[in-house]
Amino acid sequence: MTTARNVQTALPAEEDERRGADITGLLRRREVLVVAVMVVIVAVSTAVHPYFWASDNFGYILADSMVIALLALGETFVMLGRGIDLSVGAIMGLSAIVVGFQIQNHSMTLLPAVVLGGVIGVVLGLGNALLVAVARLPPIIATLGTLGVYSGLEFVVTNGNQVDTIPNSMTNLGSSQVLPGIPEIFVYTLPLVIIAAIVLRYTVFGRSVYAVGDDAEAAYRAGIGVQRVLFATYLIAGLLAGLAGVVYLIYTSGASSTTGVNDNLSAIAAALIGGTALTGGRGGAFGALIGSVFLTVTLTAMSFAHMPDVWQPAGVGVLVLLAVLSDRRARDASVARRSKRRRWRR
Amino acid sequence: MTTLALPQRWRVPGWGVCLVVALVAELVYFTLTTRHFADGGSGMLALTEQFVPTGVVALGLAMVILTGNIDLSAGANASLASVIAGTALEHGYGTWVAVLVAIAVGTAAGLFNGLVVAVLGIDSLLVTLATQFIVTSIATSVAGYAPPYGFAGSFLRLGQGTVADVPVALLIFLLLALATIGVVNYTTLGRSMVLIGYSRRAADYTGITSRRALCAVFTLSGALAGVGGVLLAAYYDSAQPENGAILLLPAITAVVLGGVDIFGGRGRIGEVVIAVLLLGFLSQGMLIEGRSSLAVTMVTGLVLIGALVLKVLFERNFRASWAARMRQLRAPLSHLGRPG
Repeated sequence: MTTARNVQTALPAEEDERRGADITGLLRRREVLVVAVMVVIVAVSTAVHPYFWASDNFGYILADSMVIALLALGETFVMLGRGIDLSVGAIMGLSAIVVGFQIQNHSMTLLPAVVLGGVIGVVLGLGNALLVAVARLPPIIATLGTLGVYSGLEFVVTNGNQVDTIPNSMTNLGSSQVLPGIPEIFVYTLPLVIIAAIVLRYTVFGRSVYAVGDDAEAAYRAGIGVQRVLFATYLIAGLLAGLAGVVYLIYTSGASSTTGVNDNLSAIAAALIGGTALTGGRGGAFGALIGSVFLTVTLTAMSFAHMPDVWQPAGVGVLVLLAVLSDRRARDASVARRSKRRRWRR
Repeated sequence: MTTLALPQRWRVPGWGVCLVVALVAELVYFTLTTRHFADGGSGMLALTEQFVPTGVVALGLAMVILTGNIDLSAGANASLASVIAGTALEHGYGTWVAVLVAIAVGTAAGLFNGLVVAVLGIDSLLVTLATQFIVTSIATSVAGYAPPYGFAGSFLRLGQGTVADVPVALLIFLLLALATIGVVNYTTLGRSMVLIGYSRRAADYTGITSRRALCAVFTLSGALAGVGGVLLAAYYDSAQPENGAILLLPAITAVVLGGVDIFGGRGRIGEVVIAVLLLGFLSQGMLIEGRSSLAVTMVTGLVLIGALVLKVLFERNFRASWAARMRQLRAPLSHLGRPG
């Protein structure tokens, strides 16, 4: 029974293509389902509040979801390898602070800022990678520890100050639109998602991530360097979180010592909604983008419907529950997985 | 092949002893370096009031983690309970009514988690991730723009009062800890928890109604989070909806530092209690030394990672020869245990 299930889940891409043949099968693909629901939400909101359809609002929604999209993209790599990274928000915050101070006090330009953000992300991701893939700590505990360390570091680095002056040349990237409804920042983020999708789908490394996440033992026996693959996924998550820090700066034009501490769970939620399973081996890069845009669309629609802001977390929670409930295989997998004793440790 | 060996049952010998030694060393260090830390013993006891809520939440979390699950909503449940207690007091209800209602609400939230996890068979990480968001919203919404504060003395006694220099909160914590030890070690439910954590499949074959046990465990965690929330409100004399959520990470840290295997099936509640004291005094000592609370978070994270690295190294190599140790280092899957 377990074996059959493993065979089934080992080939996510192929299976999805086969299923996509008819309409009901198409709806079963998570990305399609989420987009369909999103269209409904947008249609209803527009019918009630015509401004929802305005390009300003769309630009705002897309720009607003880019930070979470990048975090969720990194989280997708980790989750596909059946791990979890609770520290991406803190990495994002640290990168935003360090880069922000460089921009503010030493008038750093955009390109060096992006490079610096990426380097910071990789270095901090290296900490996670070492703990998980070399010291072999359970990811949930290792990254919980680094979450504490990194968010403490945020405070140490800011030393009570905050970043609040980012030159307009940069913040314009977040507000200006290349086409109506398409902010410039989206144009720069989209290639990252596409690259990630290509890496995951068509490279040996990408397929290894799926294989490791689906069944590490089988992957090992197939000659995949399991720990090496896991190591790389945490580095990638760090890199993308570091870049997300720069995007955060551009979009919000500021950063403080508490930046990002609440974004870890939103990133995981976005990846989950986009169809990436915590059980590993299932999901994809576009899911992260679609999931985070969906999250922002829904939250925006909620505030258009005059729901108080305090209910926004509840909205995220309900969406996560619905995403999991609508995923038949998440239940099967959780039952099957529970019989595997070492579930979090890889 | 070592990779297919059954998971070994033994643990680091005397992990509890290590924790006690560390705790004593820490207390001596802070007593010597920081003037107001000990304060003739009573100061040290009074410090416990600050971290007892974390400890109570950790007790419930320890039981959940023993079953191989996790309850990310425990902190939010504590927030909700403290807000409910505060609101009830504000509306003129008596201390005991407020306390009972708050604990009942925490229990109900835990029961909901338990039902979803056990009946629908969804992973507890996902379920409690979602309920954490939802419960946080409810707590914030109930608290409103002006969270209740300024409670009656009989309620504050729970968080600030003392009986012969011993804080009431500490007594409650120790009683609950004893009760938890009793449940885990001496009841059918407790033994079921450990077996479910060790192997869900074996538990099912043994005839344990693991769904019922899981449901009970999450309900207990919710109830304990409720108690933690009440103690929080009583200690701070206000019911802030954020106060509970920040307990989650220290509580998980305490459970893991206390030697409970994050995959379930192994761990002792007594050692979790020592870990709670260890972490609590560490953070209080550092705060008295004048460090910021975020520096404390950082050190807590480092302690967690350091302790776990040590423990994993010890456990993996315990009674293994040097050659076997080298083989293990080279075999990438020795830590995966036996699948299936």
